Amino acid sequence: MLTTIVFLPLAGALLLLLVENRDGRRDAAVRWTALGVSLLVFAATLLLWSRFDATSADFQFVERRDWIPAFGIQYFVGVDGISLFLLVLTGFLTPLALLCSWESVNRKVKEFAAFMLALESAMLGVFVSLDLFLFYIFWDAMLVPMYFLIGIWGYDRRIYAAVKFILYTAAGSVLMLLAIIGLAWMHNSITGAGYTFDLLKLYDLHLPAKFEVWFFLAFTLAFAIKVPLFPFHTWLPDAHVEAPTAGSVILAGVLLKMGTYGLVRFAFPLFPAAAAYFAPWLAILAVVGIVYGALVAMVQPDMKKLVAYSSVSHLGFVVLGICAMNLQGLQGSIYQMLNHGVSTGGLFLLVGMLSDRRHTRQIAAFGGLKAVMPRLVAAFMLITLASIGLPGTNGFVGEFLILLGTFRADPRLAAFAATGVILSAVYMLWMFQRVNYGPVVHDENRALPDLTVRERWVIVPVVAMAIVMGVLPGVFLKPMQPSVERLLQRVNHVSAARAPEAAPPDHAAARRGTAPADAGVKH
Amino acid sequence: MSLSSITAIVPILCVTAAGLAAMLAEAFRAPGERMPIGGLGLIGLAGAAVSTALLWGRHASGFGLVSADTFGLFFVMILVVVGVMTMLLSPPIVEREGLPAGEYYALTLFALAGMMLMAMATDLLVIFLALEVMSLAVYVLTGLRRDAEASVEGAFKYFILGGFSSAFFLYGLALVYGLTESTRLDRIGGALAGASAAHPALGLAALGLLLVGFGFKVSAVPFHMWTPDAYEGAPTVVAGFMSTGVKAAAFAALVRVVTVAFPSMHALWGPVLWGMAAATMILGTVVGVAQTNLRRMLAYSSIAHAGYLLVGLVSWSDIGRSAILFYLLAYGVTNLAAFGLIGLLATPERTNDDLASMAGLSNRHPALAAAFSVLLLSLGGIPPTAGFVGKWYIFSAAIRSGDYALAIIGVLTSVVSIFFYLRVIVMMYMAEPGDAPSSPAPTRAAAFTLAAALVVTFYLGVLPTGVIDLAARSVGSLF
Repeated sequence: MLTTIVFLPLAGALLLLLVENRDGRRDAAVRWTALGVSLLVFAATLLLWSRFDATSADFQFVERRDWIPAFGIQYFVGVDGISLFLLVLTGFLTPLALLCSWESVNRKVKEFAAFMLALESAMLGVFVSLDLFLFYIFWDAMLVPMYFLIGIWGYDRRIYAAVKFILYTAAGSVLMLLAIIGLAWMHNSITGAGYTFDLLKLYDLHLPAKFEVWFFLAFTLAFAIKVPLFPFHTWLPDAHVEAPTAGSVILAGVLLKMGTYGLVRFAFPLFPAAAAYFAPWLAILAVVGIVYGALVAMVQPDMKKLVAYSSVSHLGFVVLGICAMNLQGLQGSIYQMLNHGVSTGGLFLLVGMLSDRRHTRQIAAFGGLKAVMPRLVAAFMLITLASIGLPGTNGFVGEFLILLGTFRADPRLAAFAATGVILSAVYMLWMFQRVNYGPVVHDENRALPDLTVRERWVIVPVVAMAIVMGVLPGVFLKPMQPSVERLLQRVNHVSAARAPEAAPPDHAAARRGTAPADAGVKH
Repeated sequence: MSLSSITAIVPILCVTAAGLAAMLAEAFRAPGERMPIGGLGLIGLAGAAVSTALLWGRHASGFGLVSADTFGLFFVMILVVVGVMTMLLSPPIVEREGLPAGEYYALTLFALAGMMLMAMATDLLVIFLALEVMSLAVYVLTGLRRDAEASVEGAFKYFILGGFSSAFFLYGLALVYGLTESTRLDRIGGALAGASAAHPALGLAALGLLLVGFGFKVSAVPFHMWTPDAYEGAPTVVAGFMSTGVKAAAFAALVRVVTVAFPSMHALWGPVLWGMAAATMILGTVVGVAQTNLRRMLAYSSIAHAGYLLVGLVSWSDIGRSAILFYLLAYGVTNLAAFGLIGLLATPERTNDDLASMAGLSNRHPALAAAFSVLLLSLGGIPPTAGFVGKWYIFSAAIRSGDYALAIIGVLTSVVSIFFYLRVIVMMYMAEPGDAPSSPAPTRAAAFTLAAALVVTFYLGVLPTGVIDLAARSVGSLF
C-alpha cells in the first residue's frame, strides 16, 4: 500500500514524459492527468488514514524487503502517528499546487507537471522511509525536481535562488550521509550483528559518547538547514520568493517539515543523550529565529518575502516544541507542522493569485482590495487569522501546546517565544490592512476580477482545513499520541539513564518529572 | 606453453585481432569508400565479452605473467563496455572531423588490448609493456586531428610528460628487481615482506617511482597537468575513452601492484596516497569550478573522480577495493556518455563545447538536454543514480577504516562539484537561448548508446546489488 502511494506520482510523471507535447498542444491533457494522479494519491493517503489504527504506537503498513543485503540495506517503509498526517498533508497540497499553476505556468507544462509529481514521490518517500539509506535517497533526490521548478518556472532571480537552494541543502546533507554510514558501521562493531541501516535497530544502539555527539550534530545540521533554523535560513527567502507559486506552496508546506520531521524521527531518538545536551541550545536558536523572523517579516515591502520570513518564525516554534521534549511540546510541534503547511501554503496561494493579476507582489501596489474582490479578501482574512493563531483556527492549537510544553521545560524561553505570537499578529495584520483596507489608490486595482471558479477550488479546501483543524484538533492529535509517547519514552528514558551529567540539571529534571505525568493526559 | 595459458588471454587476442582487421580493412578500402570499420571492433569486443564470461571463475593463468582472475576480468568487462560505447559513439565524430577511420578504430582497439593486458598482468614487466601499448596508441589518438592546433598541443604535452612518467615507472621497476630479484608481483610481495626492513629507503624509492607512473595515468595531483589540454585537444570521444579506459586500466594495475606486491609497506605509502587523494579531490573540483569549456570541466571532474577512487584504495580494505570496481563501472559509463554527448553537439563549423553554447539546449534538443542532465547529476553523485551509489560505496569504505577526514573532504568536494555540473544544467534549461545552431540529429547507434548509458546509470543507482556482489567477489580473487 505504501509503495503504491509513494511511487504512484512517479509513475504518473514518467507517463507524462512519454506524451508528445510539441508546441504545448496537449497542455490541457497534461494538466488534467497530473491533477488526476495527484488527487488519486490524496485519496490513497486518506484511505491510509482511515485504515490507520489510532491506538497503536507501532509502525503500520510496514513493507520490508532486502535491497542491498551485503550492507544490510533494506527497502523498509512504514507509517506511525507522526508521519501519517505529513503524508496526508503532502497529498492535500500537491493537487492544490498543480491547480494554482493551471494558468500561470504556460510553458513546458509537461515538464512542470512531471517535476511536481516526481517531487511528490520523493516527499512521500522521505516520510515513510524507515531505512536510513532509503531515507537519504529520497531526501537527496527531492532536491532535483525542486531545483528545476525554481530554476525554470521561477521569477527574475530564479537561477541564483535555485543554485543556492540546492547547494545549501546538499552541503548540509552530505555530512548526514557520512553520519548515516558511520552509524551502520558502528552497529556492526558494537553489536557484531552486521551492518544495518534499519532505523528500529539503530534506535537501540548504544553509541560511545563521542560518536553520538558528532553524529547528532551532522544530522541536526542537515535538518536545521532544511527547517530552516536561525542562522541557517538564508537560502529560504530567496528560494521562496523566486519559486513559482506551486513551488513556494510545496516548499513551505512540505519541504520545511522534512527538517523538523527529521529532528523528531531521526536526530533526537537516535542520539538521545546528545539531543538532551544540545536541546537547550537548539531551543535558544529557535527562539532567536522566532523573534528575528518576525521582526524581519515586519519590514518587508514584498508580500511573498514577508510570508517567507514568517515561515522562519513559525518553524522556530516547531523546533522549540521539539526541544521541550514533553508530550505537549512535541504534539504541538507536529500539529504546528501541519498547520503551517495549511496556512502558509494558503498564504502563498493567495499571494500567487494577487501576483498573477497584477504581476507585482509589492504591498504598496495594492490597497483597498476588500471592495474590489470581497471573496478573495475573505479567504485571505481567514488564512491570515489562522496563521496568527487566533483561537478557533488551527494555528492556535499548535502554538498553545508548544508554549505549554516549553513553559514546563523552561519558562524563560516560553516568555520570549510568546512575543513571537504578538509580533506575528503585528506583521500579518499590518500587511493585511495595507493590502485590503483603505481606499483603492491604484487605478489598476479597480477592475481586478474576484476569485475564479478554479481559484475557489484551490482556496476553499485550505480555508476549510484551517477551521476544521482549529475546531477538532482531537481528530488529529489522538492518532499521534501513542507514537509520540513512545518516542518520548525512548528519548527521555535513554537520555536520563545514559548521560545524566550531560544535560544541565534543571532541564533534565524537568524532563524526567514530566514524562510519566504526561502519559495520562488525553486531548 | 600450455593451452590454458592461451585461454587466459583470449579476450585480449579477440580485441587485437579486431584491431589488425581494422588496419587491413583500411588498407583495402578504396578512397572515398565508406566501410563500417567500427563494426569489426564490435565483433572483436563481443568475442572478448563472451570469452570473459566463459573464463569467469576459472582463474586461468597465462604464462605466469597474466592472470584471468575475477578481479582482472571485472576490469576487462568494464573495458569492453567502454570499448563498445566508443565504437558506437565514434562514427559521426570520425566523419565530421575527417579522421582516418582505419587508424582511428585500429588504434582504439590496440589501446583496449593494452588496457586489458594491464588489468590482467601479474608481472611488473608485463604491466609496463601493456602500459606502453596502451599509451602509444592513445598518444596518437590524441593528436589525430592533425590540422587542429589544440590537438597537436595536447598530444605533444601528453606524449612528453607520458614519456617521462613511463621512464619513472621503468626506473622503479628496475629498483624493485634489484631489491627482490623478481618482477612477478607475488614474488615481489613475498620478498619485500622479508627484505624491506633491510632496505627501506630503496623499497620506498622504488614504490615512489612506480606511483609517479600510475599517478600520471590516472591523472592524480600532482601529475595531472596534461589532462585538460589533452582532453580538450583530442577528438571528443577519444577524450571520453581516455578518461574512462585509461583510468580503469591504470587503477586495475595500481590496485593489484600495491595489494599484491607492496602490502608490507602499507604504512609507508598509505599516507602518501592519502595526501594524493585529498589533493586530487580538492584541486579537481576547485579548478573545475573556474572552467567554461565543457571538455576542460569534465577533465577536471575526471581528476576529482581519480581522487575519489584513490580514497577507496587508501581505505585499504576489501570494501574499498570493490568500491573502486563499482565506481569505475559507474563512472566509466556516465563519463564516456557525457563526452560522447558533447561530441554529438558539435557541428562542422563549431565545436559547441563551451558553456555558453549550451544555452537553450533544452529547446533545441530536449532529449539530449535531459540525458546530459542525468549524466551530470550522476557525476555529481545525486541519487538515484549510479554516481551516488559509487560515492556512497567509496565513502563507506573510508568511514569503515575510520578515515573520517578523507570522507569529509570527499563529500564536501562533491558538493562543490555539483555546483559546476549544475552550471551546465542552468545553461541548458534556464538561460536565454543563445545563438548556437542546431546540431545534426544523433545517429541511431549514438542515440542507442546514450539511452543504454542512461538505463545503466539508473539501474546501478536503484538496483546495485548484483554488481556490488560481483565486485565484492571479484576482489576476493586478488589474494
